[in-house]
Amino acid sequence: MNWLNDNVNLLALIGAAAIIIISVFVIGKYLRQMQNDKSGGELAKDNWDGIGEYKNPLPIGWALSFIGTIVWGLWYFLAGYPLSAYSQIGEYNEEVKSYNTKFESKFSNPDQATLMGMGEGVFLVQCAPCHGVTGDGMNGKAANLAKWGNEEAVISAILNGVKGSDYPLGEMPAGLLDKESATAVAAFMMQEVSSAKKTKNSALVETGRALWATCSACHGEDGKGMDGQSANISHYGDAQFVVNVLGMGKKGAIGNMPKFNDGRLTNVQKLAVGTYVHSLAK
Amino acid sequence: MFHWLERNPFFFAVGVFLVIAYAGIVTILPNFMESARPVVGTKPYTVLELAGRQTYIKDSCNACHSQLIRPFKSETDRYGMYSLSGEYAYDRPFLWGSKRTGPDLMRVGNYRTSDWHEYHMLNPKSVVPGSIMPAYKHMFSNNADIETAYAEAYTVKTVFNVPYDKPDMPTLGTYDESKKVVFAEAAAIVADMKSQEVKDAFKRGEIKEIVAIIAYLNSLK
Repeated sequence: MNWLNDNVNLLALIGAAAIIIISVFVIGKYLRQMQNDKSGGELAKDNWDGIGEYKNPLPIGWALSFIGTIVWGLWYFLAGYPLSAYSQIGEYNEEVKSYNTKFESKFSNPDQATLMGMGEGVFLVQCAPCHGVTGDGMNGKAANLAKWGNEEAVISAILNGVKGSDYPLGEMPAGLLDKESATAVAAFMMQEVSSAKKTKNSALVETGRALWATCSACHGEDGKGMDGQSANISHYGDAQFVVNVLGMGKKGAIGNMPKFNDGRLTNVQKLAVGTYVHSLAK
Repeated sequence: MFHWLERNPFFFAVGVFLVIAYAGIVTILPNFMESARPVVGTKPYTVLELAGRQTYIKDSCNACHSQLIRPFKSETDRYGMYSLSGEYAYDRPFLWGSKRTGPDLMRVGNYRTSDWHEYHMLNPKSVVPGSIMPAYKHMFSNNADIETAYAEAYTVKTVFNVPYDKPDMPTLGTYDESKKVVFAEAAAIVADMKSQEVKDAFKRGEIKEIVAIIAYLNSLK
């Protein structure tokens, strides 16, 4: 038994002894006071059913802190709380501001892999409800994105027309050219106008150039859509084309696509979606 | 100075109430009037939208879907701008909901379209693979209650001065006038839909609940 050698145990024992001794003295003092003391002093004027109250002057320190609390309370009631209260909207604004700053600096110059990752994330939330998780359009509920952005899609658009893009020059009518001419123009457009810059039918490019006037009447000689009068097909086959569709929405032959211009997507996110959607095209 | 209060329990209670209510008074009263007014651009529902709203209430959509976007970045990223109280000025009753089993629908009109709603009501899993929402096939066979919707619009116009028939606001007029507006609105939605059943019914002069609820959902922006 050498637990008395431990400092902490010793300290605890001394403390316990001190508490016992002090308690005995204090209890003894008050017991004597209860037996011997008589009440005295000046009575306050209030009297409740014969029970009176002595006047006890307030200690000065206590009185000062009481008055101080009242003064602080008035300030807090009238100015402190109403003028600098917590605001949920304020916190939201700060959170969004710091997030946006961080987003802009982190993604000011995103590389291809970053855009693909971001694009897939946004696609799954915003696009997948209609185009499907894989972008296949879920059995014709929306455009099959695998069949977009290539030469076949251009030929199909020339033959069948394009509905509901809401450009000032209106919808592109079906049957502007026959199948043979459409194939040639598509070859020219893919090779020379679009950003894909390649065609499967390179032999037809010169034939297509001669027929280009059919398209340039609306899309402009350079295919840039004459300052927003019609679709800018010089971007066909790259991410920017998708960004344009996101901004315009589409009331197409398959169904309606809402506009994504209410600020839900930043420009970088739109570009990311474009990159991802473009990667789905075969 | 407080002796008087001690002898008058009633006024003492009034004093206690004022002190405790103060926090509420300073936070609620200053912009209560302003925030309760309709936000600029908020319009009362058209009769067809009201019929859809009644269907929404009848089928308890609000049991799983809220209509209140909180000012959190995660919610505004997904649903759009957070809700303001003035946006509910013409909602009687408001449909905030409290249980967010499904996504918030406060601004669903911004990012879903008529044909999507049609697929979704017929078979939610066909567009949202993991969805636990039940199908609402009966909306394609039940007729929307246009008369009750007109009565509701007429009542709030008369009793609460809801600004129908004002410039830039939905027209109400008499029941016959209103019916023409309802059919014109419904025609635009039916044209966007695929269901032959609904199209045939519309030709017979019937407006199905699905048309009304799509009108209502498209109006939520």
